[in-house]
Amino acid sequence: MPVKQDVVFRGNKEGLEIILSDVQDFGVLKEKLRNHLKRAESFFQVSDVILDTGESTLSLDEILEIQNMLAYPYGLRLKKIVHKGNSSGDKARERREAKRPAAPRPVDPQRARPTGPSHSGLAASLQETLLHKGTLRSGQRIHHDGNVVVLGDLNPGAEVKATGDIVVMGALRGLAHAGAGGGLGVVVAFRLEPTQLRIGDVIGRPPEGNAKSGREPEVAKLRDGMILIEPLEGTRWEGER
Amino acid sequence: MSQSLVITSGKGGVGKTTTVANLGVALASMGNKVVMVDADIGLRNLDVVMGLENRIVYDLVDVVEGYCRMRQALIKDKRIDGLYLLPAAQTRDKTAVNPEQMKELVRALKEEHDFVLVDCPAGIEQGFRNAIAGTDRAIIVTTPEVSAVRDADRITGLLEASGFEKPELIINRLKPRMVARGDMMDIPDIIDILAIDLLGVVPDDDYIVVSTNRGEPAVMIESSKAGQAFKNIARRLRGEEVPFMDLSDKETIWERLKRLVRFSQGG
Repeated sequence: MPVKQDVVFRGNKEGLEIILSDVQDFGVLKEKLRNHLKRAESFFQVSDVILDTGESTLSLDEILEIQNMLAYPYGLRLKKIVHKGNSSGDKARERREAKRPAAPRPVDPQRARPTGPSHSGLAASLQETLLHKGTLRSGQRIHHDGNVVVLGDLNPGAEVKATGDIVVMGALRGLAHAGAGGGLGVVVAFRLEPTQLRIGDVIGRPPEGNAKSGREPEVAKLRDGMILIEPLEGTRWEGER
Repeated sequence: MSQSLVITSGKGGVGKTTTVANLGVALASMGNKVVMVDADIGLRNLDVVMGLENRIVYDLVDVVEGYCRMRQALIKDKRIDGLYLLPAAQTRDKTAVNPEQMKELVRALKEEHDFVLVDCPAGIEQGFRNAIAGTDRAIIVTTPEVSAVRDADRITGLLEASGFEKPELIINRLKPRMVARGDMMDIPDIIDILAIDLLGVVPDDDYIVVSTNRGEPAVMIESSKAGQAFKNIARRLRGEEVPFMDLSDKETIWERLKRLVRFSQGG
């Protein structure tokens, strides 16, 4: 009986390619991948891995699990995920639509390619708070299930969407959506001058005219169905439900 | 009888977005129902020029993907009745939509608006192909520069190959004084190369920069010459016969004096 190869390793110029086929049971697949890794351990001369999931789609958790498996103890970095499905077809779109509201995905904004089925540069941690170092420029976005901290500015045209709170250690001039998915959350920024703020299902925008914020850190929160902005200093957190 | 128009140029920075914003405002203030579609996915600008950036909730890609209804994505202008904007997505790219989807989108918009103005991205790639899909009239914007005219020529060829029988031309940012001195391409020079119908000539106007930064299109300002030119173009789009403006801009006595002084100093 011919043995079907579920996990295939192949070296190419970009790095190590791991091709998965016929992912029926993730547990089995994981075990196979683990064995393969152990056997091939001494051959790893590269650090980048391209994961080809073939016809099947892995969930974010599954991808993160594989990512961890590669990272410890092999020191392999999951660089790219390739998926064989048709990119513009209905299937891909349905999947994307189904995923979008339910499972916000951490995406590295520098390399985010949200339209395609291949997602590179997944956020490095599963932790609830995502730390982004650097300024988010127009067109870059972070969608994260949890809190987001940006060490830098959030420029107009950039967006951060988090199911929890958002903290911007810099100027927030773009779009921030805290408590996405109908939850509660606050938005804190050193300079709060957003294009638009969203908390839960409430959308707020600054009044017309050039009303610059004061030069002090401020916090935006939901109060009586309205977005309220007040100085960070002296804000009362216990008032939050 | 509604019209759908694409405003395109090939070259970037010649004033496509400014043209769309001004024509949109002008047509709407003449009582038409107008929708402006920003097809520049990933590099959207029209919302900023219109001062509507902070009202965006859904965008063109959301509509195309069925993530929201068309009505939810249309932003009503804050100053003029009957003017709407369908903004582009900023965090996606041109491959997020295809020409078939744009065709359907423009068709749906035409049902409820007199004018559908599509702001085309620079370039001749997929963004351009998306923007021209579904529109029945094409306007090419150029400036009196050799490079812009070269690109306009390329675009004219592509449009004709795509079935646009008579693309029309807007010459933007003309400086009559430079033309008079022979330092700038003149209107006949440009027409000679492109051989398409001239829809209008817009003089260079410092106010455009101010208005773009303020989010108030120049047609809203009575004294702006560029604004007046865009109004004339809008009337021509409505089918009116409007004579071309006299652009030869007369020197004031003060300017003339300055020039004479400079001349005599120069020796």
